Order: sequence, then structure tokens, then C-alpha cells
Amino acid sequence: MINKKDALVLLLAGGVGSRLNILVQSRAKPAVPFGGLYRIIDFSLSNVMNSGLTKVGVLTQYKPLSLMRHLGTGEPWDFIGRTRGVKILPPRTGFKDSDWYKGTADAVRQNIDFIEANPSDEVILLSGDHIYHMDFHAMLEFHRSKNADVTVGMMVVPREQIHQFGAGIIDSNNRIVEWEEKPQVPRTNLASMGIYVFNRKYLLNTLQRDRGEVDFGMHIIPWAIDNDNVFAYPFYGYWRDVGTIQSYWQANMDILSEDSEISPEKWGIRTNIETGQSPADRAPARYGSKASASCSLISAGCRINGRVVNSVLAPGVVVEEGALVKDSILFEDCVVQADAEVNLAICDKRVHVGEQAVVGFGDDHETPNRLHPKHLYTGITLVGKEAVVPNKHVIGRNCIIQSHTNPRAYEERRVADGETVGS
Amino acid sequence: MLKSSTLAMILAGSRVDELNVLTYYRPKSAVPFGGFCRVIDFALSNLMNSGIEQVAILSQYRSYSLINHIGTGAAWDMIGRHRGISILPPFKDMDHADWYRGTADAVYQNMDFIRYHQPQEILILSGDHIYNMDYRQLISYHHEKEADLTIGFIRVDQDKAHRFGIAALDEEDGDRGGKVLKYWEKPEEPEATWASLTVLCFRPEVLYRLLKENQSSDSWEFGKDIIPMLMNEGGRVYGYKYDGYWGYTRTIEEYWQSNMDLLGEKPRINTEQWGVRTNLEHRGIRDFQPALIREEADVRNSLIYNGCTVEGTVENSILFPGVKIGKGAVVENSVLFFNNVVGERCSFNKVISDVNSSFGKGVRIGPESGEVAKGVTVVGWNNRVPQKTVIGEGATIYPNLTSDQWKDGVGAGEVLR
Repeated sequence: MINKKDALVLLLAGGVGSRLNILVQSRAKPAVPFGGLYRIIDFSLSNVMNSGLTKVGVLTQYKPLSLMRHLGTGEPWDFIGRTRGVKILPPRTGFKDSDWYKGTADAVRQNIDFIEANPSDEVILLSGDHIYHMDFHAMLEFHRSKNADVTVGMMVVPREQIHQFGAGIIDSNNRIVEWEEKPQVPRTNLASMGIYVFNRKYLLNTLQRDRGEVDFGMHIIPWAIDNDNVFAYPFYGYWRDVGTIQSYWQANMDILSEDSEISPEKWGIRTNIETGQSPADRAPARYGSKASASCSLISAGCRINGRVVNSVLAPGVVVEEGALVKDSILFEDCVVQADAEVNLAICDKRVHVGEQAVVGFGDDHETPNRLHPKHLYTGITLVGKEAVVPNKHVIGRNCIIQSHTNPRAYEERRVADGETVGS
Repeated sequence: MLKSSTLAMILAGSRVDELNVLTYYRPKSAVPFGGFCRVIDFALSNLMNSGIEQVAILSQYRSYSLINHIGTGAAWDMIGRHRGISILPPFKDMDHADWYRGTADAVYQNMDFIRYHQPQEILILSGDHIYNMDYRQLISYHHEKEADLTIGFIRVDQDKAHRFGIAALDEEDGDRGGKVLKYWEKPEEPEATWASLTVLCFRPEVLYRLLKENQSSDSWEFGKDIIPMLMNEGGRVYGYKYDGYWGYTRTIEEYWQSNMDLLGEKPRINTEQWGVRTNLEHRGIRDFQPALIREEADVRNSLIYNGCTVEGTVENSILFPGVKIGKGAVVENSVLFFNNVVGERCSFNKVISDVNSSFGKGVRIGPESGEVAKGVTVVGWNNRVPQKTVIGEGATIYPNLTSDQWKDGVGAGEVLR
């Protein structure tokens, strides 16, 4: 169906997301696995699809390979056809522009040719690193009914969190009259979700005004509020910026609760089922005669013969007899050998936990990670991609086992709380 | 390999009466199997893993489910300039307006399709069997022996041999194969125990001639007519000996048993090791989230695919995508197809339930938990079973029953239609 009214979507997926630590060592934040089968960007992409929008540009910059492989042809989200599609827009050199993206607005400015090649009345700008379910079509209708130049998706957040966001003060007509970017002393509890609808002409004019304005939240939006018609589109529902290890872990756990607000399947979230290293499709999860599982999300291809409690298991995870996996998130093809324990940990792909080893030991959740105290301070231990925890080794809380750590990297069998192994 | 020299033709048209309500709306080859896939996926994956990428499927009974399942063929990588799966339904032409009159007739009617591909060998397969075989070994044996026809065989018990095409093989190549000395189609008193797997590798010119000659006959089957014709004229017919797993599921009991072969400490069927793929687009199974195993759940010795929610007990059972098991329910020795919803405190023992059925609270099917059920109870698709209904073991429930067709109890072995 060709509908000229279709807005063009630009998905900003270039962020580093460095607070996710080793989870973003080899991939961009939007490509971080989530909820067993998904990656974070699936939520934004599926929202776009379910809103009936069909043209998407994904602006990448930081470690885009994993993301590009995941997007593939765009077929999993129906972005395939003569007039539908998802295009990857990496930074490029040219006659005038020969620089990396300096910010969100700069990234869009460098892709003005893409916007011009895909004429539409509006351009929707999204961030690719949030977990939520939203109908952009309703937001577009709101934008049109208000005759707005810009509409910002906003939601109420607790006052103590407002300092992480752009905050807006609105009048009775939902028009934003004042803006504060990451205010230390909040005057409102209405936070920007990083979702913008721009009139296309307005966006193009704005971006041409001053090349020094490189960020939407810092520059473009405040200027627009002062000079033009900017409205707040109120959003009610589940929305999380999973930018920290703690919030990432919590959002995964939220899927498990009985009265969960988050349900990828009900939300119509799609993903690109990537084949692992085997040519076969993942078989149904196999539960052995000694298996015990409760309050968990368990993907196809898992083989469970131990105990799994309150955990999220991606495809191909093996939990052997006598092993315990509790309050943890295990990415694809992790192996937890017999009588081992993984307790309050996030393990990246193909982590191997040897027999009788413990990842996440002890009652001290308070000692933060020595090297990254701002990343790990609530007790969660991180194990990087393809790292090995040898038999009978005991890893404490708030520890980091770096990617590809091999058994020789361990000086002792006991890794104390807050320590890091590997390089 | 730029272009596969083999053309494979899969016989997937049959209904198989003994599978009863499971083949009411679909051919045998499209019957769900193993918690996520379909019976035909085994033949297709064998072909993919054997590097045979030109495939035709002969289908005439209720083809829709099969066509839907095959899709573009991309699931098995059979898409590209020289790769593809073609579905060949019966058709009318200037001097011909019949359904496929038999397996051999089906192939004959598509002769122009076959000739167009100019294959060096034609592999005729059944889409109804569960097995894992590298056809390249059979094909290279076929060429080594310069055979007109090479057939895959497996040893079966003497008392079961009457159900198959049976051959006497010599020991020319030991465990690998031998010359077919004699062939009997479903002999009443079998004199040998090598059973045909319905894996037939033909020299093309020989097949073309036999099929043409067979047209003037009044029966058009490979096992019953074509193989005996070639044997009678003294053709070079060889047997390739296969000793792996072979699931020949022509009755409900056999179908149930093959499913149970996926379970246990050392499962006899391992779809991942065998390299089995399915079409994840079919029924949208790729869109299901991982299975949610709730607090009260107890799951042992079972297979559970994405999209299931389990709040009860599941033991020795297979749950296809989207199955929900309510609190306090106990499901044992059962196979529940896509999107079954089992209400609270239901009790199932040895049940096969086709897609989209739902069971009200407290429905009981089969004997008490822990007891051994003799017969499998089969529930056809799209049924709404009223709460507290009691269904005896070995009963058969037809698909799509309306609410006034239900009664409080269905006896053991009874057929409700």
C-alpha cells in the first residue's frame, strides 16, 4: 500500500551505552540481547512496524556490525517490498561532511539527503535503546491535531529520576513552555522519552540554521520551544531506559512477574531469529528427569537438568544436573556444568561455568566493583562473552569476568567481591 | 556446487486413514511433530544436509497446510538460481483431466517438469517418515553399481514385514548394500526382513520408460508396480542398507511412540543433531516469546517450545508453541499441538490434541495420573471441551464439535463426532 502520509522514521542507534560495560564491548547498545530472544532495538522497530510505518533509516556509528547483521534485510519487521524498507545509515565522508556524528542532531543533519529522497509530511525520530510499547500512529494524529512543529513523547517519572532526562513544563493545552535538560533541581516530573515528531520542512529548516547545534535535547528542542510550537504527547505505560546494568537486569526480571506490564509477545515484538552455529533450528527446550524450573523465561534450544529460578535463558543454554541458576540472565549457548551455581549474574554468549563453580557468591552486595564502581554496585556480577569460569572457582558479587577470559587468567580459585578478572 | 545434479521428488499427497482426525484437514506429511516442526521437515532437512537443492513436492490431499509450510523454501536454503522447492499439484490439460491416480502417475504427469531439469539421477522420497539420512551415500553407491534403481532398506521385525515393500538382498557389499534378489510389495508371508524406506534413486531414462509403460496399466504405484516391472525385466536394482532411526508412523499409536522417542536420557530422535529445520514463519512460531515457566510449575522429561506458559505439572510430554497449562493441571505422556489451552486442574494421560483446542477446568482424559494408559486419546482441532468433561482412554474426538455435541462423559475407545 502506498500512502504518502506515511511518516519517515529515523532510528538513532549510534549510542555507546558505556554503562552497560562488557555487554557493549563488541556491540552497540541497541544490539544488546534482551528477554531471551530479543535485542533492545526490536522494541523500537516492532513499534514502528505495528504503527503501520514502513520506511526506516537506522543511524549507526558505534560497533554497528552486530546491529547490521541483526537488521538483515528488514524482513522480520515486514520492512521489505518495493516501497518499504530499512536502510542502515552509517557516517560517511563526502565533499563537505567528513566527520563522525557529533550528536543526534548532527547525525540527522548528515543524512538530510536521505530525508529528501523519502518525501513525507513528518519525520519521526526515535532512540533504539528503550524497552516500551507505543503506537506512533496515535502520536502522529496528536501532532497533526495540534498543528505542532515538533511533538515530544513525554511521560511522568519519579522526581528523583528526572535528572537523567530532558524535562518539560507544559500549559493546559499540552504545549511545552519551558525545557530543562537533565535538571539537578526538578520543577516538573514530565520527562522526554527521546521520541520526536517533526514537521519535515521544519526539521530541514532547523537543521540548516546552525551547524553548531549537534544535539536535539541540548540545542534543537530548547530553541524550538522558545520560538515555535512544541507539544508534549503524553505516554502512559511501561517504558524503560535500560542504560545501566541495574535497570537492564530489572527490566528483564519485570517480564517474569505474574502481573507484568511488559510482554514482548502481546506487544507484537518481533526479532530476527538468528541461526546459531548449528545449521539446525533450535529444538524445543528439553527438560530432563532432574529438572526443576520456576518463575523463568526459557527459550527453545535450552537443555535443563538442574534448577532454574527467577531467570531469563536465551536459546541453547545448558544447565546440568545439580546446577542452580537463580536471579540471572544467560545469553545464548551458555553452559552451567554439574553442581555449579550462577546467582545474580549476567552472562554474555557462550560463557562456560565449570563443575561446582559459583558465580555470585556471598551476602555482600554493597562492595562495588573496584574499577567500575558506578556500573556495578547492587550485587550483580558480569561475565563476558565466551569467558570460562573453571571448575570449583568461586566468583563474588559485583565482579567482572572479562570476555574471552581463559582459565589461566585466574590467580586464585576465589575472586573477591568487586574484583575483575581478565583484560 | 553450482547446480545440483539430483532432482528430488517428495511424495507428500497421502492422507493415511489410520491417523484419523490428525489428517482430517492436512496430509500426513504436514502433521506436526516433535514440538515445533512437521513430518516433512525430516525429508526436506535430509535433502538440505545432503546438498540436494532441487526439490519437487507432489501433493493433492488438502495441500493448503503443506503449501503454507513450504513457503518460499528459504527455511531450507532452497532458494536461488539453481535451488528451489516446487509444489506440483494435479492439473488439467488438453488430453488429461485426472487426479493423481497413484504415486507413479503423479510423477509421470509431471514429466515435462522433470525433463526440464535434466537431472543425472532422480530421487523419489516419501514425505511421511522420520529419519536422518545422507542421501549422497546412497547416490554414490547407485553410481558405483551403475544401477538402474537403488532403494534404501532397513531391517524390520519379521512380524511387521507384511506392512512394507520387502526385499531379499545379497551380501555383495556387506553392511553397505547388495543386489536386490527378490522384491515383494506388502507380502502376507514375508520371506525376508529388508523393508523399503521409500527412498528410490532412479537412472532417469529408465524411470521415464517405466512410467510410460505403466500408463496402460490399471495401477500406478512405485512399490506395487514400478519396482516389480524393473525386477521382472532383469534391471540392475540395488539395495542400500540403512541402520539409523526410522519412524514409520502410520497409526496413532506409532505416531505417539515416535514422539516419545524424542524424550528420555538418550533420545532416539535428536532434531538439532540431525540438522532439522522447519519454516519458522508457518503459524508465526518465530514471533512467540520464550516459554514462561511459572512459580507453581513442575516440568520433567519434556520438550517445551517458545510461547508456552506452564503453571501446572508436565511430565513425559511435548508442548508445541503457544500451549498454556493452567494451575494444578497435570499433563503426562501427552503431545499437545500449537495453541492448546489446558484449564486449571485438568488431568491428561496419553493424549494427542490437535491445534487450537481448549479444555475447561477439571477436564480428565485417560487413566489416573501415574497409571499406564493402553490407548491414546486423540482430540481433533478447534474443540472447546466443557469443564469437568471426563474422556476415557483411547477415545477419538472429531474436530470442530459444537457445544451441543458434547456430553459429560466419553467412554474408553468411544468416537465422538
